[in-house]
Amino acid sequence: MSLPVLICDDSRFARKQMANSIPAGWDVEISFAENGAEALELIKAGKGDVVFLDLNMPVMDGYQTMQIIKEQDLPCMVIVVSGDVQSQARERMLKLGALDFIRKPVDNSRLMEILHQFGLYSGEAAVKPASQDMPTSKEDRIDAYREVANVAMGRAGEKLAELFDEFIRLPVPNVNVIESNELRMAIEEIQQSEYVSAVSQGFSSVGLQGEALVIFNETSFESLINLLNYQHDSDCQELEIEALMDVSNILVGACLNALAEQLNTRFNRSHPSILGRHCDLEQMLESNVSRWTRLLATEIGYSIENHDIQFDLLLLFPSDAIDPLLSLSCGRRYERTGTY
Amino acid sequence: MSVPAPINSQLMQYMLGSLEVGLVVIDRSYTIRVWNQFMQSHSNIADSLAVGQNLFGLFSEINENWFKSKVAPVLKLNTPAYIIAEQRPYLFRFSASRPVTSASEYMHQNVSLFPLVDEHGVVTSICIVVYDVTDEVVSRQRFEEANVKLKRISRIDGLTGLNNRRFWEECCVNEYKRLGRSKTSSSLIMLDIDHFKQVNDTYGHPAGDEVIRYLAEIIRRTTRETDICGRFGGEEYVILLPDTDGEQAMLVAERLRRKAALKPAVYEGTEIEFTISVGVCEYQTRFNNHMEWVELTDKALYNAKRGGRNQVQRAA
Repeated sequence: MSLPVLICDDSRFARKQMANSIPAGWDVEISFAENGAEALELIKAGKGDVVFLDLNMPVMDGYQTMQIIKEQDLPCMVIVVSGDVQSQARERMLKLGALDFIRKPVDNSRLMEILHQFGLYSGEAAVKPASQDMPTSKEDRIDAYREVANVAMGRAGEKLAELFDEFIRLPVPNVNVIESNELRMAIEEIQQSEYVSAVSQGFSSVGLQGEALVIFNETSFESLINLLNYQHDSDCQELEIEALMDVSNILVGACLNALAEQLNTRFNRSHPSILGRHCDLEQMLESNVSRWTRLLATEIGYSIENHDIQFDLLLLFPSDAIDPLLSLSCGRRYERTGTY
Repeated sequence: MSVPAPINSQLMQYMLGSLEVGLVVIDRSYTIRVWNQFMQSHSNIADSLAVGQNLFGLFSEINENWFKSKVAPVLKLNTPAYIIAEQRPYLFRFSASRPVTSASEYMHQNVSLFPLVDEHGVVTSICIVVYDVTDEVVSRQRFEEANVKLKRISRIDGLTGLNNRRFWEECCVNEYKRLGRSKTSSSLIMLDIDHFKQVNDTYGHPAGDEVIRYLAEIIRRTTRETDICGRFGGEEYVILLPDTDGEQAMLVAERLRRKAALKPAVYEGTEIEFTISVGVCEYQTRFNNHMEWVELTDKALYNAKRGGRNQVQRAA
């Protein structure tokens, strides 16, 4: 009888990608779930002896799912597949009984290693040819990009967690095509603070141009400065700018690195610029956003547990960059899977 | 078709030397490895003297701990880091590049720190790129100064120097919001010159203006620096007293009334006697918006007028 394997991820693209990574020689029957709640149903129905579980999902995330699996002692082996590999995330999941972690985008040799280690499969790593399900519809292409962004922003969160030595909460990034005058509404969804500070950095590669924005909540500064533990003697204003720059350097740096790596490109980056400090979000956007009618906006709100710290990372692509971006997102990932 | 020959290293050197950007390469022990023409010219240190030297030994203006904390993520994450002039005006203390006409004494700098990796992907050294942004910073500072000036002008009533109505209301709204979260109370005072029309009719409008200015001066001298005084319009004034209950506000109001009644204004040698009516109202949690607060204060002022003028009334 085939081994029931369950792939749980909110991204259709990520589910497909994971399914393509499963070796052809491994006798399995694959089921799919879009969130933890669905996964639990399927596990209880005997469809998930081995579960590949994503962490950041809507409805029920990976942590909650793992908690219930542990509490109800459900018979399954869980391998976490996530773009966010913070050491604290890893610790939490291993403590709850997960077998191991695979970093997104899935590295097949790492997958084989884990399957070997736990005696699940020891055959060839050959994968099915993937080219025939190259995504063509708009939704599929955006889904592919969403997964790229998810990984990039997860990687950024991971680096930030290292800097602060704290666990960073990462929700699922929002990906939307919006008009630039809708930007404020989009940001307000994740950023409730009335007054904000923001740093912007432009980046570009051949055919692709974008801007990364880091938006800081007014109330976060004091805790942020404390957490960064500055030793040098400077006044408070300077420390605030220092904190703004340090956090955005790391966040944007790690995010763009991961993005460039997945899109198989290199970015030129502009010098960061402070768009505004302690100012009204609406006024700031009004005085700064002057072009770009249609945007592909990706937003994520990071928060640090126990410290009341919150900031948002936005990746904005103008309309003429959207098509190249989506193509690169699909093309590169499929090419990658194909080469193993 | 012939392929053009690649640029030789001598040309490349020449190009790097002509860049109006500072290029420095340091290794992991902060020893200088590359020092381009720009750096030589502005530091007055030839590359033969700079290369091989420790960065901090050569430039005491660089705070070692601070700079190392900026370099750490570059080494660790293999990602560039940026320092902007708003953060620190400069990394290297150089004179401004236009010695005669520059508005700044020193060169403001934006600095990028790039990781340089070897063939195994290990970061072996750091490239420091120094951009001269003096003109940009100077014009931004001027712009900000002009904005501050404009902002001040747009908030001030020309005749009295007190806040104008628009800005005063803005402050009132902010205070009203703050009170919603605060445990302390605040009060409003509204006052008005009695029979002001008679002053104008008897002594002329310039004299009336002088009375208005004179009363503003009394208000300024009677209130604290933290109180927000404004000219509400015509001969009407408002004062917002943060962290002040109704009792205390009544004392301030009474002091104002007495001062106005005791010492007349003087215009071109003529003494002009005048009195004021005053309304006082403490903030109440039942208000739905700041307007209700202002209206209730206005009602108290109206009661003072109806009660015979030259008096203070407190809102019920």
